[in-house]
Amino acid sequence: MARSWATMEDFEAFLDDGGLVEADDPMPDAYRQAVFAFIEMHANSELMGGLTERDWIPKTPGLRHKMAVLAKTQDEIGHGHLLYMVAADLGVKTRVEMLEDLFAGRSRFHNVFHYRAVTWGDQVAIAFLVDAAALISQQAVFKNCSYGPYKRILRRIIAEEGFHMRLGEDRMLRIAEGTDRQRLMFQESLNRWFWPALQLFGPDSESDDVLLRWHIKSERNEVLRDRWVQKFVPMLQSYGFTVPAPDMRWDAVRHRWDVGPIDWEPLKRTLAQGGPDSSRRIREAADNWSRTAWVRAALSHNNVAANDAGNGSTSAGGS
Amino acid sequence: MRVYEVFVKKDGRNEFRHVGALEAATDELALVLAREAYLRRAEGDRLWVVRRDHVVAAAGDFVDPNADKPHRHHDGAAVAARRMAARQSPG
Repeated sequence: MARSWATMEDFEAFLDDGGLVEADDPMPDAYRQAVFAFIEMHANSELMGGLTERDWIPKTPGLRHKMAVLAKTQDEIGHGHLLYMVAADLGVKTRVEMLEDLFAGRSRFHNVFHYRAVTWGDQVAIAFLVDAAALISQQAVFKNCSYGPYKRILRRIIAEEGFHMRLGEDRMLRIAEGTDRQRLMFQESLNRWFWPALQLFGPDSESDDVLLRWHIKSERNEVLRDRWVQKFVPMLQSYGFTVPAPDMRWDAVRHRWDVGPIDWEPLKRTLAQGGPDSSRRIREAADNWSRTAWVRAALSHNNVAANDAGNGSTSAGGS
Repeated sequence: MRVYEVFVKKDGRNEFRHVGALEAATDELALVLAREAYLRRAEGDRLWVVRRDHVVAAAGDFVDPNADKPHRHHDGAAVAARRMAARQSPG
């Protein structure tokens, strides 16, 4: 359908009416930049998460779980791939430019991947708490996202994140049913990961947040964060773990858990690449990118059999 | 590298569905990458990849005129009202 919007008011009316924007629409540049930045950060986070997951393949206990971690790693890297394609079609940066920015520390990824996973308990806490937080955020975007290509690709990503979350819960339950030593390991992981997972949702949404106004996000950060708190606090307690929030209290009037004041400084530090493990993570990702250059070269136009050579190439440079 | 659009049909469903895109050097590699990126859990049993520059897309307002062809539809409610009126009228 041919369409264009003379003014931002017209465009916003179209969005408010449930309109879906497509890649070839003449969208306002501010919207293009906002959607692009959001998808780029999501793509970066999937890739960084996948690389963390990969580190645990050799260390995962048991063949069944090891295979599941392999599959999950492929899912996360795959999600990054799908999202980089969607982001590239916005014409702001190419896929390679996005990757180069990530590996040079010039672009952002989720706060949780700025911390180091030290024990298997950490990895379980990430799969259980962080994947669930990411899933809650993604579901809220999928529900009413105004950018069509992102909404469609999220359908697939959300389905697979659901597998990951259940896998995390399965592992957490095994630990909860385990020995005192295993339970202590998970409690320590919970102490390390509860707050970063909660901070993933970000501070309360600003009243003029364009992501909300343009229906990229459908719910405010504090609403999503609260949904996560109300689900996970009672769940963790029911398995006999302690939520590491000393000021947390039960609000008998509202029938809700209130976790108390949230310190946003750690989140700000991670967004400035100043998290406890930021520089190592970025360096490892960059090293991985250069170590795998031979794979990209092997799959590139010059090195594959010339079964359809001679056709025009639109090189995106080495990817 | 070229951009390919990926289409998947699920067993028992009538239509191919556009699921996304990818970059590949050849048609054969595009199929391999599509299988790994989009069909890891048997999401379909038929797979098409189409070079993006081979897609013939209608420009802008090409299909717009057909949005205003009411004579190509018929409103079931209008027929129902007429039917009801015919039954109720004597003779």
